[in-house]
Amino acid sequence: MSETAFPVNDLLRRRLQTGLTLLSLTVCVASTLFLLLFGDQIGFGLTSVAENTLTVGYYSIFSSFLLFVLVLVFAVGAVIVSFITFLIMAQRTRDFGLIKAAGCPNSLVFSYFLTELLIVLFLGCVLGIALGFLTDYAVINVGGFQAFQKAPNFWFAPLVFVAFFVFGLIFGLRPLENAASLSPAAALSPMQYYGLTEGNKFKALSKSRLTLKIASRSLFRRQSATVRIVIFLSIVFILLTVSIAGSIIANDTTTTRIEDAVGKDILLVAHKDMGDQYISLLSKFSGATADADFNYLNPNFALTDVVIQQLNVTSGIANFEKRLVCKKQIQELSNFTYTDSATISIGDNRTVNSLIVGVDPEKALSEWFTEGHFLKTDSSLEAVVGDSLAAIMFEMPLLQSFRLKNTTLNNVGVCLDPINNGVVAYVPLETLESLTNVSDPNIVLVKLDSSVDRSNVITQIQERLTAVNSDLRVFELNEALNKNVSFLGSLWSIVTFLPLFSLVAATLCLIGYLMLAIDEQSKEFAILRAMGAKPKTVVVILAVQSLIVLFASFGVGISFGVIITLMILISHPVVTSFAILAIAAWLFAALAGMFLLSLYPAVRFAKKPILTIMS
Amino acid sequence: MSMPSDFVVETRSLIRAYPLGEAQVEVLKGITLNIAKGEFVALCGPSGSGKTTMLNLISGIDRPTNGKLIVLGEDLTVQDEDFLAEFRCNHVGFVFQSYNLVSTLTVAENVAFPMEWIKKAEAEIETRVKELLETVGLQHRANHFPAQLSGGEQQRVAFARALANDPELILADEPTGNLDATNGQKITQVLQMLKSNGRTVIVATHDPELMRLADRTMCLEDGKLASQSE
Repeated sequence: MSETAFPVNDLLRRRLQTGLTLLSLTVCVASTLFLLLFGDQIGFGLTSVAENTLTVGYYSIFSSFLLFVLVLVFAVGAVIVSFITFLIMAQRTRDFGLIKAAGCPNSLVFSYFLTELLIVLFLGCVLGIALGFLTDYAVINVGGFQAFQKAPNFWFAPLVFVAFFVFGLIFGLRPLENAASLSPAAALSPMQYYGLTEGNKFKALSKSRLTLKIASRSLFRRQSATVRIVIFLSIVFILLTVSIAGSIIANDTTTTRIEDAVGKDILLVAHKDMGDQYISLLSKFSGATADADFNYLNPNFALTDVVIQQLNVTSGIANFEKRLVCKKQIQELSNFTYTDSATISIGDNRTVNSLIVGVDPEKALSEWFTEGHFLKTDSSLEAVVGDSLAAIMFEMPLLQSFRLKNTTLNNVGVCLDPINNGVVAYVPLETLESLTNVSDPNIVLVKLDSSVDRSNVITQIQERLTAVNSDLRVFELNEALNKNVSFLGSLWSIVTFLPLFSLVAATLCLIGYLMLAIDEQSKEFAILRAMGAKPKTVVVILAVQSLIVLFASFGVGISFGVIITLMILISHPVVTSFAILAIAAWLFAALAGMFLLSLYPAVRFAKKPILTIMS
Repeated sequence: MSMPSDFVVETRSLIRAYPLGEAQVEVLKGITLNIAKGEFVALCGPSGSGKTTMLNLISGIDRPTNGKLIVLGEDLTVQDEDFLAEFRCNHVGFVFQSYNLVSTLTVAENVAFPMEWIKKAEAEIETRVKELLETVGLQHRANHFPAQLSGGEQQRVAFARALANDPELILADEPTGNLDATNGQKITQVLQMLKSNGRTVIVATHDPELMRLADRTMCLEDGKLASQSE
């Protein structure tokens, strides 16, 4: 028999095992490649995204998640490949022994199985690379991410191919080398080919029901494979928790912060051009553009006392807030900070053209999430900068100040605000008015009483404004807010679904593990059935094994996943009871799905006649 | 039991064929026999004559291709897997040539599990296990695993397990085939005890000792009943 004819025929003879192995390898290679391509295309780089969408603060949460998920997917891929190759080769130990017992030289048997391993690895990696590119193309074009589209980085393909091929080879060779070192008799012993422990001294769960007893003891008996699958599934559940819990909590947290910064159900009163510009500045977060040369301090935009008077007399208004918005060049001021041993210079006198918003701290309708604190009534020479401005212009923003015209303003806080993608500085209204010599605000934010007929009050306000100046308008900020929120939602939903591939691969591995269990215990199952066990008893025993493995991994995975999500990836998370329910529902759905699918080989096996199993 | 009958086993023109490629190979070629209650029958014949297949069919482990098979009043040819499982558990004790103990269970647990399936009380199971292990002389091995026992001991555990639910019919497939003379003798003693208790026993065997013990010996040859002797 030629050295390639046997491995090829052998792989074709074991169609189900070969098919499952190839499928698992393909899915795992494809998921890793897709993640790399997709992550690269939507941009891991900070500047490329921050300039067009999001703010630095929001993007850093998103990109750190994406990177973490990618690292986990790669780890899952590596563990899957090692597990699959270990599994398929460990299962061949008996065949190894049989062929050796028939007189075939050790080196020839080794080369047979090595060829099998190489064929499976090569095919799995090639198919995975193709599927990875295909999935990336489909997600980008069908999933509505054309805006991010750029040519995929083809260098990822050889990188993933080589990495996974080498992983697979290293981990697949170990059981082969072990088998080669055994005598034919030892290789034929179940003690060897299922990684069984010597004897059976440990009586797990001896007081429990029969099915649980058999299931738990079999798991302990196959401890090598059991430990591997538990470690592997734990990583998968960490990945799932980070991506599902993380994306739901991060979405809630970032959405809450946007809603707090913009304000919910807020109306904007402004000159029509100023209003359009303000909404464009808010929508830059989700990809819109704003007029860069807009003249914010155009006298026509001033909202005079007459306008304010009209708002004062309109019934149904709960509160309103005057703001002065302009764009000015500001200059960073360098400073010094002291460590235990030295004085360090910070800052570099950089200049940036930033949006400046004058607010009355006492009347502000927004509640910014702020590192440090927001402006207070006596903060005449203080400022709060947006997160992007803080990242672009300052080294240590809370220890620095900036110059606006000839006035120095001390940074007291860094806030998350979607307006102008976070390139914004909030200063006291009076200070800005005196610095710009403008005495009237150019926008007013209005909050209505929740009990009033909203559209009726809006019509009233619009009529009163038109009576003063026909160019004045009332704008709903909810539209821009909702656009930003849904943009964030779509970004987080990507993170939620990224581990889907890994989940499929994990399920296939669990199926592979149960096939190993069936293979190892098939004689026992046949005996049990011959003694009067119903076919469903066999399914129950295998289901219990699957559940023990899944719950052990679930516990470890969820614990680490939650710690990573809440303590490392998101600071000050907003965790609502709905989010907890949603996360639990997703995770349990994944658990239930994996469990049910893993039973497929058990159900198939239970239908086999007893004599077929025994033979 | 749905049909009262004088016979524990009744077969008419029983055929069992297995596919071999495109062809069908008949292992049993129209066996007709009756076995009465309390009878000790030895099935003999050369290897491949169909003895094991016959026992598999009678126990409901396998299904006939054609013919009639009534065991303890039940027509086994028309029953589903769940019924056959319950039937084996409650009414048939099977002893395999290769012992076939469950390696993950201790000796006591191996004897106990058929009783657990019919949901006997725990205390009752415990008493019965003790009693059965005393009967086969293995009470001191109760907490050992099968791998820690000799072949003869394993076969005696297999007998204890087969008797767990006090079955009306006991089938043994070459129970002494893998044993040395001393251990074979012990198994013969167990079978003698079953015979004196009035159980219906069918043993597939080459062992002259067991054949001497039998009320009737049926010889199979090439899937046919070649001879019978009282």
